[in-house]
Amino acid sequence: MKLIFAGILAGLLATTAAKAEDMVFTSWGGTTQEAQTKSWAEPFAAASGIKVLQDGPTDYGKLKAMVDAGSVNWDVVDVEMDFAIKAAKDGLLEPIDFKAVPKADLDPRFTTEHAVGSFYYSFVLAWNKGTVSGEPAGWADMFDLKKYPGKRTFYKWSAPGVIEIALLADGVPADKLYPLDLDRAFKKLDTIKSDIVWWGGGAESQQLIASGEAAFGQLWNGRVFALEKDGADVGVSWNQNLTAADVLVVPKGAKNKDAAMKFLAAASSPTGQAKFAEASGYAPINTKAKAEMPADAVKALPDAHVEGQINLDMNYWAANRDAIAERWYAWQAK
Amino acid sequence: MRMPAGLGGLLPALTLIGLFFVVPVLALLLRSVTDPAPGLQNYAALLGDGTYMRVFFNTFLVAAVVTIVTVLVAFPVAWMLAIMPPALASVMFGIIILSMWTNLLTRTYAWMVLLQRTGVINRALMAIGVIDQPLPLINNLTGVTIGMVYIMLPFMILPLVGTLRAIDPMTLRAAALCGASPFQAFRRILLPLSLPGIAAGGLMVFVMSLGYFVTPALLGGTSNMMLAEMIAQLIQSLLNWGLGSAAAFILLIVTMALYALQLRLVGARRATGGI
Repeated sequence: MKLIFAGILAGLLATTAAKAEDMVFTSWGGTTQEAQTKSWAEPFAAASGIKVLQDGPTDYGKLKAMVDAGSVNWDVVDVEMDFAIKAAKDGLLEPIDFKAVPKADLDPRFTTEHAVGSFYYSFVLAWNKGTVSGEPAGWADMFDLKKYPGKRTFYKWSAPGVIEIALLADGVPADKLYPLDLDRAFKKLDTIKSDIVWWGGGAESQQLIASGEAAFGQLWNGRVFALEKDGADVGVSWNQNLTAADVLVVPKGAKNKDAAMKFLAAASSPTGQAKFAEASGYAPINTKAKAEMPADAVKALPDAHVEGQINLDMNYWAANRDAIAERWYAWQAK
Repeated sequence: MRMPAGLGGLLPALTLIGLFFVVPVLALLLRSVTDPAPGLQNYAALLGDGTYMRVFFNTFLVAAVVTIVTVLVAFPVAWMLAIMPPALASVMFGIIILSMWTNLLTRTYAWMVLLQRTGVINRALMAIGVIDQPLPLINNLTGVTIGMVYIMLPFMILPLVGTLRAIDPMTLRAAALCGASPFQAFRRILLPLSLPGIAAGGLMVFVMSLGYFVTPALLGGTSNMMLAEMIAQLIQSLLNWGLGSAAAFILLIVTMALYALQLRLVGARRATGGI
């Protein structure tokens, strides 16, 4: 019965059907997936003859439904790293074939048995220069309603980032963040709750800041990078920037596993990573990639801001994802 | 078993509904009492938790507010359509129905552009000096209500026009001749006679509002979360399918109970001779 349900669900949800020699790549849409298409999928298709169909946005429910039903239409999926660790534990992912995917140059922080890094990014503090007078210096300023009035925008979903920001703003030292003190974090967040506008996706965060609808916010650095490239009047503070990663995974039972592994090799190669990093402003997970990038593009990466940089603990999140999520959504709905 | 005459032709349709609606719903029910373990713990968790109960309450609150506002806006429009010359009325109907052909997401985003702090409405009001701070029109109940009423209006106007057109205009003239003021005529003649239409349209709007997703998700804040959004969250990001199925099933039961009520009301209307 479970199978029937999941089968129907997957059948209804599946929007893309691939031919035998094609494969499907699924990511989050927007400027990020565009860059992935241009930097990875198109050159890969030209070199290998394997056509890469694009689907999206990534949806963990869909992924699970497909695996449960044994009808997997996605071959490579871009997911958040904490989800990947949890999903591997739940048996939703294929192990990576490291004979096909060269591992030597991959940043070990973002490589697991079931995932290779896609890119890594930083949450940074960004603001609209037209709305904010002065220069917010760090996360604590986002909680200072007197000095910096206005709406602030944070990531809506339960994920690494906002809890850490609240704790840092409340004076917790960076090396004492974990295990997360949720009571303290929510208490801090309560002080600005009515001034928070939540963003659910990258494009929304860009729109909120660019229009001044929110004065400042916690944004993915790549989205700020894209705003700056478009000439939007935004300021950015890299102080205590928080790194997290997206990784590429192959769902269990993917129909084109061999093609998927070849795609992973291309995407994580120095060239693939260099091209993507240049287009997106996100950092490469291949240690040799930076050598292939123009110097000014390297300067825009989170790598240029390692001082005070804090690595969000993906393993802690993978282990505590559900418990934190329950409290997070209960607090939000209050 | 012999099929009653005429039902045989329905067999393909019934099979289709059985396979693609009844079976999945049963699977949903089954999952809600088996995932992660057999028992009613999913229902107990939903009904015993303050957060989930707040979402349930909020869902009904939003649906009720939307229904009331929709009735208030729709009634005058429906009355105008009912007494208008038919040619003009059909043009007006065309305009009302045209809005339903536009994509829901597009229409909701249009409201975002209008309602946000830096949006058209707030800017205009500030420019003419009515307000000096932007009004909070979005990410709250106000935004959800505006967006949903706009979408629900046709579903209220159409049944209401039918009811109003069936009312004999002579009854109103008779009331006037007997010395009733326009307000008395409205309250004692027009309103009671149009109640079946209000009830039918109102229930339809209420039931549709209960399951609404896009508009509350985009125009509401996190504290106005409605059931549909919570279910999506449970299924998509938390992968808690047991709990999500239970919530979906409760929503389905409530909706079907209300629908049964609506059928009875509509049936009652027919029984009273088409008023």
